[in-house]
Amino acid sequence: MSPRSGSSHRRLAAAVLVAALLPAAGALAAPPTPGAPSTRPAPSPTVDEIVGRYVVARGGIQKLRALRTLRQEGRVSAGAGRNGLVTREIKRPGKIRFEFTVQGVTSVFASDGQHGWKVSPLEGETGPQPLPDEVLIDAREQADIDGPLVDWKSKGSQVELVGREAVDGHDAFKLKLTLKSGGVLTAYVDVKSASLVRTEATRQIRGKQVRIETTFGDYRRTEGILFPHLVEVRAAGRPQLLRVVVDKVEVNPPLSDARFAPPA
Amino acid sequence: MRKLALLLFLVPGPLLADVVYLKGGGKFTGRIVEQTAERIVIDIGDGTIGFSMERVEEIVKGPSPLDEYDARASKLGPQDVNGWRSLAQWASMKGLSVQSRAAYQKVLAAAPDDPEAREALGFVRVNGAWLTEEESYRARGFVKYEGEWLTPAEVQLAQSNAAMEQARSEAEKRASDAQYAASMARQQKQEDEKRAREEADRMRNNPVYWGGWGYGVTYWPNPAGVPR
Repeated sequence: MSPRSGSSHRRLAAAVLVAALLPAAGALAAPPTPGAPSTRPAPSPTVDEIVGRYVVARGGIQKLRALRTLRQEGRVSAGAGRNGLVTREIKRPGKIRFEFTVQGVTSVFASDGQHGWKVSPLEGETGPQPLPDEVLIDAREQADIDGPLVDWKSKGSQVELVGREAVDGHDAFKLKLTLKSGGVLTAYVDVKSASLVRTEATRQIRGKQVRIETTFGDYRRTEGILFPHLVEVRAAGRPQLLRVVVDKVEVNPPLSDARFAPPA
Repeated sequence: MRKLALLLFLVPGPLLADVVYLKGGGKFTGRIVEQTAERIVIDIGDGTIGFSMERVEEIVKGPSPLDEYDARASKLGPQDVNGWRSLAQWASMKGLSVQSRAAYQKVLAAAPDDPEAREALGFVRVNGAWLTEEESYRARGFVKYEGEWLTPAEVQLAQSNAAMEQARSEAEKRASDAQYAASMARQQKQEDEKRAREEADRMRNNPVYWGGWGYGVTYWPNPAGVPR
């Protein structure tokens, strides 16, 4: 964390403390009782401390750095009769391939870090097409195998602790990430477990700015690294829900570069 | 394998196949029902899809999950709730939505209150009653507006914006004959766009938001709608 953001967090913590004490101003006027235990709350942790705990909870920086490739398989559901299979493959540096199968028809979306392409028979295309620019930006962000919080400084991001909020009834630190690309993501890190429990990002969908909430759960370890096995995605304030159940996680499977390169 | 694929291309008539890989990526899994040197047609269990053989990279023959589904289904009696449930779960794991749904409907026919089948078919329990997905949205106060479920306040805002836009458009229309003509053209364009949007909404009325997990088509695709 930068010294500047550290001081801003201290200011924020001080402001929160003042606000919390204001309603009890009458009580403050009373003389302190000798020997009474201190009621001063624990100081708010710094961004570095929160991210450090998050990295340890995931398995530690060494295990994460040793993660060169990743393959995840799962099922996706968007409601009645809308079920499919998904496979996500990621390889350092910045390569990603996503396969989406509905009723025996599989579309492929991929990026080798430079170019993005798709073959999407689900959209009536049986030949390779370039990915639209806005999708390619998303693809590059998602190709970060560590996730955006790990090594955020060296990635050129900014992280700021903006508060604490309950996520599904559990207290979570609310971090604002400003990525080098300019994209902004809000990440919620569970206070107790230090796991990433939710992210929020705004995306342009069909001409409208929509805030997307992604909630992560059912964390389990593979090769010592913690991965969510339940991912739920919804547009804020909308009833529809997209649920991904991850059935299989492979750490460092062999993945050739050709899987990510645009077809010749 | 490519030699085998080329040989397969030359054999006309119905064949059972498993996976047809497209050049560059993408694939179809099902039963090949027609194949010539120029064209291939595959049954995906929700209708058939045909495309040019020029797009095919490779064909891998194997037992089709659709065959296995049919074989297993043929052995189940109408009252075999556990059997149909197990088959529905298996079909879901194989990505066979249509077959999974059909099997869960068999479960419901025998056990109308079965929670797993109800939920798999999109029913939601509200105050002890099973409601469809859309009924549950309405029960929660959402309103369908231009293909999306919104709160009444959002609908009001959208309608207000639309009315303002309409008023502005009409004012322009009255400004002059020339503007009127231009406005009419614009209105026609808007109507065309609206029709196109409605058509797209028909396809895309269940937007898919992948969040940070993946990326792909931004609406739930309908394989039955893939050009044949």
